[in-house]
Amino acid sequence: MTKQKKLFAFRMKIISICALFGFFLFWYLVTDVWKLAPETLLPSPLKALETGITKWSVKKPDGSTLPQHIFASLRVSLLGFCFGAVIGVPLGIMMAWWEKADMCLKPVFDFVRTIPPIAWIPIMIILLGIGVVAKASIVFLSAFIPCVVNSYTGIKSTKKVHIWVGQTFGASKTRLLFKVAIPSALPYIFTGLKVSLNSSWGSLVAAEMLGSDSGLGYMIQLGRLLCRADLIIVGMVVIGIMGTILSAILDFMEMKLVKGAV
Amino acid sequence: MEQSGKLKMKCQNLSKTFRTPNGSFEVLKDLTFDVRENEFLVIFGPGQCGKTTLLYMLAGLEGCTAGTVEHNGQLVEEPHHSRAVVYQTMALFPWMTVKRNVGFSQKVRKVDKQKREQDTQKFIDLVGLTGFENSYPVQLSGGMKQRVGIARAYCGDPDVLLMDEPFGHLDAQTRYMMQESLENIWENEKRTVVFVTNNIEEALYLADRIILLTDCPGQICKEYTIDMPRPRSLVDPEFLRLRKEITQQMNANESNSLSAGNRAEMEQK
Amino acid sequence: MSKKNQRARALAYGGGTFLLLLFLWEILVRMTDSQIPFPTPFAVIERFVDMLFHNVGYYYTIVGHVLWSLSRVLAGFCMAAVLGIVLGLTMGWFPYVRAIFMPIFNLLRPIAPLAWIPLAILWFGIGEKYKYFLIFIAAFVPFTLNSYAGATHVDKQLVGAAKMLGANNAQVFFEIVVPAAVPSIFSGAQVALSNSWMTMLAAEMVCATEGIGWIIIAGQAVNDMTQMIAGMLAIGIVGFLLANGMRLLERRCLVWNNQGN
Repeated sequence: MTKQKKLFAFRMKIISICALFGFFLFWYLVTDVWKLAPETLLPSPLKALETGITKWSVKKPDGSTLPQHIFASLRVSLLGFCFGAVIGVPLGIMMAWWEKADMCLKPVFDFVRTIPPIAWIPIMIILLGIGVVAKASIVFLSAFIPCVVNSYTGIKSTKKVHIWVGQTFGASKTRLLFKVAIPSALPYIFTGLKVSLNSSWGSLVAAEMLGSDSGLGYMIQLGRLLCRADLIIVGMVVIGIMGTILSAILDFMEMKLVKGAV
Repeated sequence: MEQSGKLKMKCQNLSKTFRTPNGSFEVLKDLTFDVRENEFLVIFGPGQCGKTTLLYMLAGLEGCTAGTVEHNGQLVEEPHHSRAVVYQTMALFPWMTVKRNVGFSQKVRKVDKQKREQDTQKFIDLVGLTGFENSYPVQLSGGMKQRVGIARAYCGDPDVLLMDEPFGHLDAQTRYMMQESLENIWENEKRTVVFVTNNIEEALYLADRIILLTDCPGQICKEYTIDMPRPRSLVDPEFLRLRKEITQQMNANESNSLSAGNRAEMEQK
Repeated sequence: MSKKNQRARALAYGGGTFLLLLFLWEILVRMTDSQIPFPTPFAVIERFVDMLFHNVGYYYTIVGHVLWSLSRVLAGFCMAAVLGIVLGLTMGWFPYVRAIFMPIFNLLRPIAPLAWIPLAILWFGIGEKYKYFLIFIAAFVPFTLNSYAGATHVDKQLVGAAKMLGANNAQVFFEIVVPAAVPSIFSGAQVALSNSWMTMLAAEMVCATEGIGWIIIAGQAVNDMTQMIAGMLAIGIVGFLLANGMRLLERRCLVWNNQGN
């Protein structure tokens, strides 16, 4: 029985590897062998790989090497994300815990969050120029909203029973917040952080495309203007990898922290 | 046994061992028994002695480690509509109305639509849910849900009905009512029933025959044939005597296997 | 009675904060003398009403622009719904389909939808097709992921019950797996909708000649803050209506799921 299962799992793995291989093979055949797509539209996987490696140290055609772009994007997104988390999480907790704050801020917040962060880009560019601050504030907005929403829901869904137990033992309201409500909301808060990180990374790319002179988004936008599809694909792959790495770091932190709290 | 009915199901040397990360765990050991046509067989046993597993093995939902189950002389290997299960958790399809839940079996077997409608209505009426045909399961109470479960099982036109503690999740009052209803339904529509329970009153109230299982691993401890007239009274002297006898028998087993039981419980946790 | 009171109090507090913020905005604009013509809230609303009746750009009123944007969202969203649900459900239920498509899907999934913009423009030009493609990508991922989750988390007992009642494999898939995944698919649709609404904006901002994103970017081109903020107002209103429409649809379709408990 278990042997059969293992065999099945093994076979599935083989199929998966074949499928991936087939994907790249197909790409290779279309571009390099059958020449169905011109190189400006879809470069061969080998060409993309080559560009990816040389781009590591070559500044042409967009003025920076790949690590410089990565660093620029990472700096802006982490800056915005940290501000968003530092302001958003406490705000969400406050709104959920103090009824008055809830009544005052919830409607305003509900209104603001219907506007996607991307819509703010032009305004930010006019107000703050195309520097780090403008981009960081876009990232801030897109990180801020999910942080507030998730911490709010987390605190609101604290089990009533837990609060009652705390109350019967005579805990003060602040103590209840820190000892009961926040620990039980931690999983929600972390979900919020993960969503934030994802959306801030995404909107950063947009911000860099619409007005910037560095960063991965700028690189792929320039790749389009120069018809360098290989550069675009390298940029997309790096964006994907960086996004994955960032979420993996958060996952790791959640594992450490939430386990400790429960 | 001098049962008049002919043989329906036959279990021979059934055993079941679960493999857990910390070793294997024997739930059922060497069970051999028959199920006869149109009898109401109750499998009665304490706590977690593998009654549900046994029932699932009879249904073909779960494989056995050793031994065989035969139904009408054929080996049971997978679930079949001739062996309908009534689940403890009801397991109704929440997105279907009562009518569609009950008619499901005939629908998937492509039974003629007119007959399906007739049968569906007949069994809904039989379990006393007339008027709730178009309700969804979430709109019903626990007892009513289980009525749907019974009607659904019946409507598949099964040869054997397998009931897995069907009233386990109900409150005491509803439970009594459901026991009475079930007896009525069964008297109206005779089927072979294998009924699993851990409630002695329920067992005595419903059973033609009781198989008493021991705890961990489940083995057949004793068999009782109950031939009190139906409907039975819960305070009838014969009823009380049997109840006492079976309870004593069970307690004796329990003290024997207490240490074993504890160990098994630990292993499950 | 007390519930009514509570409502009135919430309304008073919320409305009060709103008014206070608007007032602050007005004061700030009047007090500061910046080079950028930042509008007062009153001016924004005036412009918004004006946009309802007069053309923004040459051809359309703001309603026309919104309809353009909505048509794009609808096209991409529907394509993504069909393909995403089919792929997700089959991946969730059939191990072979999962083995073949899951690695490729996982390979492409981490790339943010907006990062596809340059490649999409190269491939499809700057017309409608490019926007459909982007919105498709943005909505496809949540649809697939949620359908997949729905199909893999089907209650095993329900599957057993269906088999026991005589359903064959195809029937189990269509009668049990598909309906059981619907609630999960709906929450995916909610995410997909807000994703595609956002991606549509970005796509239109990068290049378009009409649509709600164009209004904003056109405002930026001539430094017209009033038009930009009025456009954002419209975006907010339509986005709000879309999300709530979706929720309403969900409640309608899932009568069996949201009563009780």
